Amino acid sequence: MPKIMKPTRRDVLKYGAAATTALCTPFVSRAWAETVEINMLAWYGHGEPDVVGEFEAANNVKFKPKYYAGGDNMMALIAQSPPGTYDVILSDAEFVQQLNAAGYIDELNPADYPFDDMLYDDFKKFPGHWKDGKLYSVMLRFGHLGVSYNTPAVSEEEAMSYKAFWKPELKGKVGHFDWHLPNLGQMSLYNGNGAKLWDQDEAGWKKIQETTMSLRPQVGGFFDYGGTFNGLKNNEMMAMAGIGDWITGVLERDGAPVKSVVPKEGGIQFTESYSIGKGTSKADIAKKFIQYMMSPDGQVHSARMLAYPAFCVTKGGRAKLNEVDPKEAQRTGQVDGMPNDPITLIKDGRIHYRNTPQQQSLEDWNEFWQEYKNAS
Amino acid sequence: MKDDLLLRWILRSYTALVFLFVFAPIVASLVFSFNSDRFPTIPLGSFTTGWYVKAFSNPEVWDAALRSLVVSSVTAILSTAIGFSAAYTDYRYNFTGKTAFVVLALLPPTIPLIIFALAMLGWLSMFNASGMTVSIIIAHTVLCAPFAMAVIRLRLNQMDPNLEPAAWNLGASEWVTMKSVVIPFTLPSIIASLCLTAAVSFDEFAVAWFVSGLNKTIPVVILEILTGNIDPQVNAIGTAVFLVSITLVVIAQMLVMGRAKKPETT
Amino acid sequence: MTSREATKSDHYAIAWRLPLIVWQGLFFVGPLLFMVAMSFFLVKNYRMEAASQFTNWSRLLSKDFFWDAYFFTLFLAILATIITSVVAFPASYFLAFKASDGARRWAIFFLIIPFFTSYLVRIFAWQVILAQQGVINAGLSFLGLGPWQMLNTQFGTIVGYLVLCLPLAVILQTFSLASIDKRLVEAAHNLGCGRLRTVFTVVVPLAKTGLVVAAVFCFILCFGDFVSPYYLGGSKPPTLSILIIDTSKSGQQWPRAAVVAITMIVTLLAVALAAIGFAYKKRST
Repeated sequence: MPKIMKPTRRDVLKYGAAATTALCTPFVSRAWAETVEINMLAWYGHGEPDVVGEFEAANNVKFKPKYYAGGDNMMALIAQSPPGTYDVILSDAEFVQQLNAAGYIDELNPADYPFDDMLYDDFKKFPGHWKDGKLYSVMLRFGHLGVSYNTPAVSEEEAMSYKAFWKPELKGKVGHFDWHLPNLGQMSLYNGNGAKLWDQDEAGWKKIQETTMSLRPQVGGFFDYGGTFNGLKNNEMMAMAGIGDWITGVLERDGAPVKSVVPKEGGIQFTESYSIGKGTSKADIAKKFIQYMMSPDGQVHSARMLAYPAFCVTKGGRAKLNEVDPKEAQRTGQVDGMPNDPITLIKDGRIHYRNTPQQQSLEDWNEFWQEYKNAS
Repeated sequence: MKDDLLLRWILRSYTALVFLFVFAPIVASLVFSFNSDRFPTIPLGSFTTGWYVKAFSNPEVWDAALRSLVVSSVTAILSTAIGFSAAYTDYRYNFTGKTAFVVLALLPPTIPLIIFALAMLGWLSMFNASGMTVSIIIAHTVLCAPFAMAVIRLRLNQMDPNLEPAAWNLGASEWVTMKSVVIPFTLPSIIASLCLTAAVSFDEFAVAWFVSGLNKTIPVVILEILTGNIDPQVNAIGTAVFLVSITLVVIAQMLVMGRAKKPETT
Repeated sequence: MTSREATKSDHYAIAWRLPLIVWQGLFFVGPLLFMVAMSFFLVKNYRMEAASQFTNWSRLLSKDFFWDAYFFTLFLAILATIITSVVAFPASYFLAFKASDGARRWAIFFLIIPFFTSYLVRIFAWQVILAQQGVINAGLSFLGLGPWQMLNTQFGTIVGYLVLCLPLAVILQTFSLASIDKRLVEAAHNLGCGRLRTVFTVVVPLAKTGLVVAAVFCFILCFGDFVSPYYLGGSKPPTLSILIIDTSKSGQQWPRAAVVAITMIVTLLAVALAAIGFAYKKRST
């Protein structure tokens, strides 16, 4: 058995006490501040200080975020918590309907939110956000998914088609963001399904599976959020499916040679919306928070979110972004009249809102994804 | 003999390599915690203490640290109490079903954490008891009790079996004997067990991740940073956690070692 | 012992027996049994409903991907166990036979340290070490070699398993080797047995139990670990533990995750019992 150096007991006590005091000071002062805690369920980053810090300070509240990855994951987290656990819920737009059907979210008053200021008509009546004329969720931000690639390894021309993933030089260097929906959606687009990418019958679904399987030899890994970052950053992965600027944008800011484009087969839009959890005792402050996030200030915070950037949904937000951070506005095309203005892309029909499969169940897709991951 | 020297030298270098492998990540994470790059690559960026500043100024980290502290201290007390009673039972009694008793006491570490985590989550959710700090304590106590039992049982081995009967003969009741003979004798191992179980609980992430809900502990925060926005904060937090854990272990070691030698002299 | 017991009260004895039985019964046996029950439950609209259906079992066990993952995990864990045991042995041998008592104590002490650093943080560090632009490849390119793909490969996973198991394996092996009667080893030498032959014909058989126990622990740890195959192996293909996480995370499929978990436990028990049977068998003959 080991023998150890022997500081005297007094030494231990002395240094121990000093260290404890030093460590606890900031913590004690925090613990005593009287703040309201708001439980948030969201994708990673939405409850971080860079987004909610100002609101926290102004309203003496503190966000307690629980992060998920993927809509099915979100549903599972809510289902396993007692009702009223989450005060605000940020969900992918295509899951709002399911949240509502399961009775997890409260009705909202449209007059509370800046619907007149929305950049695009679709955003006012986003599918699933209204039911029987009642509003349940407000669209906060959106982003586009396409081909993300390492610029020295893939040219922009190549990246303009999903075919780039099959490029022989990329063998073992194509990564997947580990969620079936955006990946299989892209495969469906590559099959030429266009606007009907989610609405495929048995034959179409079979073909999506075949296309996906044919990509398997190229695949270097399946990554969560952090792994996706790391893989692209340290050159482990030269191309990544299922993501877009929401990841490469962060890396670009960090100086990495990566980029995302919307290929010619079309891109997928992820849409994130806020809802108020049913049974919350903090509905008022939750409403105030959503109003803040929809204000120009909040929109800019959301657009520049450190964890992953996205586009503003209001005109006010876009104007403010151009004022505060013209460089980021330029980089992401959020300037009226730019050819890659995300709104223009939508209007041109190159973008399809992410959705859940229409003719198969999510479980079918998920199960195939498991199979795909285990294939060799 | 020359042959022997050469062999010894080869084996020594080999062992050094094994240690290098074991310590490389610990040293690397220490180095990365002072490195400016967000995604550390070679060559390294510049020196910074920014990650420590960032980690320590993050209320979520402090919140988690407090929770880890509470969880590990309560776990330590509970699991040591349970471990002590199990060790004492094993030391003193023979009874039908004792084998089952010992198996039950020592089995938890052989179940992979992720499986236990799933089982615990299902079980606790049934009683609406998941997602709370208490849930983590309950689960960690199950995991730590075997370690507590092992440590205390080792110490009981050194106790003269006639010590207790001697006290009884002098008229002390069993409870009094426990209080004035057995507990004082095993005290070093009890403290060692407290430190050890606290350290085990302080580092456990799989079960805590599953059952903690919104109430994250430090290792869960680390896991979420790794699955979320990879950030060298984890190295800073990891280094700090390491210092806490290793302090507990050193204290435990000193107590076990320090006292273990004493019976020879007293 | 029995004479002492007879004279003493039952209450006292029961009082010391109960805490463990109650706690581990409620929070260890309970959850595991519930998990077995849960594997027959159904999930509707992301909510679990009590049922007694074999659907989860039949559905999962009929899937090729499940069996692929099963055999892959088994293969990887066995491979890691063998590699860990082999890598650890020379070091343990050195510590047990060639190092001084003091050096051995220090070595063991240092080997305990990794247990108290976050395994996650160590794996994160290895990610950086193994990466394309990582420490090792930087060193290799200095020598005009590489870069080698190490991260997101099975090699990466094995490295992670070694990180997890190696310290424990060396500690357990060293203890079991150190408890061998050294005179037996010397006797073998004196009888003209070569060094390597002595190791395999005298040392290993004598320390067999300890070596097997160390290997069983490695196997248990690797078989259940999800961090290494995920963060160093790129989850390609996923192991059973990753499957548990995936399944329980997506769509609240705890029942199906329970099926995976139960097959894992059964496998572990079978392997552990076989190994322990093997470890103790020849000792008596």
